[in-house]
Amino acid sequence: MTPTARESPKATVKLSQGLAIGYNSLLAEVTEDIPLHNGTHYLLARNGRGKTTLLKTLAGLIRTLSGSFETRGLCQFIGDEFCFDRELKSRAVFKALIPAARREDAFRLADRLELDVGKEFGKLSFGNKKKVGLVVAEFRLREGEPNLLFYDEPFTGLDTPAREVISERWDATENQALRIVSCHPDFDSMAMPSALLISEGRIFRGGDGNLTWADFKERLN
Amino acid sequence: MDLFRLTISTLLARKMWVVILLVALITPVVFPLFTPHETNASLLEPARAQTAWTCAWVIGILWTLSQAARFGESNSRSGIGSYFRSQGLGSLRQIFAIWSAIMLFLLPVVLIAIGTCLLFAMPADPQEASMWVWTNLQFATLFLLTIGPLALLGVGLASRFGALVGYVAPTGLCLYGLYGVTYLGMTIRLRGDNILLEWLYAVSPQYRLADLTPRLIFKMGHLPWSDFAGFFLYFLAITLVLGSFATLLFRTDPLRN
Repeated sequence: MTPTARESPKATVKLSQGLAIGYNSLLAEVTEDIPLHNGTHYLLARNGRGKTTLLKTLAGLIRTLSGSFETRGLCQFIGDEFCFDRELKSRAVFKALIPAARREDAFRLADRLELDVGKEFGKLSFGNKKKVGLVVAEFRLREGEPNLLFYDEPFTGLDTPAREVISERWDATENQALRIVSCHPDFDSMAMPSALLISEGRIFRGGDGNLTWADFKERLN
Repeated sequence: MDLFRLTISTLLARKMWVVILLVALITPVVFPLFTPHETNASLLEPARAQTAWTCAWVIGILWTLSQAARFGESNSRSGIGSYFRSQGLGSLRQIFAIWSAIMLFLLPVVLIAIGTCLLFAMPADPQEASMWVWTNLQFATLFLLTIGPLALLGVGLASRFGALVGYVAPTGLCLYGLYGVTYLGMTIRLRGDNILLEWLYAVSPQYRLADLTPRLIFKMGHLPWSDFAGFFLYFLAITLVLGSFATLLFRTDPLRN
């Protein structure tokens, strides 16, 4: 994998104070203006607190209850249910969705992730199915344009080595995209340089850039 | 375009298209051999034409409509619909991307039916031959105007209510329009005083008009062009109605969201 070093125009997301999310009733509300720029921002909350709802709202898939937000960049929302036809091989998925110029790099990343691209999607394990969606999204970033990637629990089912490969990829390409990643980290030392938290109906920014998952756990409980 | 490519890749991966093409190619050759053609050789050619187009109808109803339902459901439930919508691909473009990929796989079946009629059942008389060609082209047009909108409806319904509804409703409508309305018409003629039935008959889709098999079997020649234009406009109107329903029903994510 050879990530492109070229810097893309900055993608931005700005959540304005008063932005309220939910389907029919209020799930959570932004308590302060939150500007986000290129890089990886983790979205942390306990179950049912509105992580997916926030990502879908930012992706334009559902409406806000009130308030506003701004996004700048080409958006990709990768939901936790994102999957392909069970008879389709990952190789065919990549050929259909990833531009030819970037496909080799995609196969290289798949190889590093130990993803068997010749196997039918339906025969892949849960974690490996997640990898297919991750690779597709990562290599559909548009070069020279601001990119927004909203991942809903991409690490579920992934083992630590695979997660580290993905984190490496994100670090190497942080200038190309703004990523918001909802997750339930399962090891305390996982670094969280930037995090959005949802707790007690409030959406706020947490961390000073040097915190780990262990530091955030207390705030979410 | 990406969703279209993904749908094409999926259809190719399912490999059912191989069986479909083989069926479309082989049945018009094999089935007519079951007729008593040894005693009456003139039976063979109309039988080939009949089998070729019957096969196209069966494939259209059993395969095309089922694929439409399957893709409609999976697009909304697999997160692919949401993914593409987040990228700016709206509902209308998504439903047409899926639909056009499915229809692309039906085209060879139609071409095989036409090819069978032109290569293996062509009348020797030049005037009849010319009419034969036009009848087949008219048939192909009306056939596609029947199955196409029903497939679109299947995608739309399935994306909202699931594959079962997305398959059963268009299939039921198709069979009703092909056969049911004929019985309804007979009932009305026999009873003659039921306004409700007459009204139902008037609003029913008359898909039986799209089936030109009898014209091929009995060499009745192509439809008069004025009739064909009328049928064409009629099916175009049905296309607009079903297309509107389908696009209104189409969802890129499951109903619960």
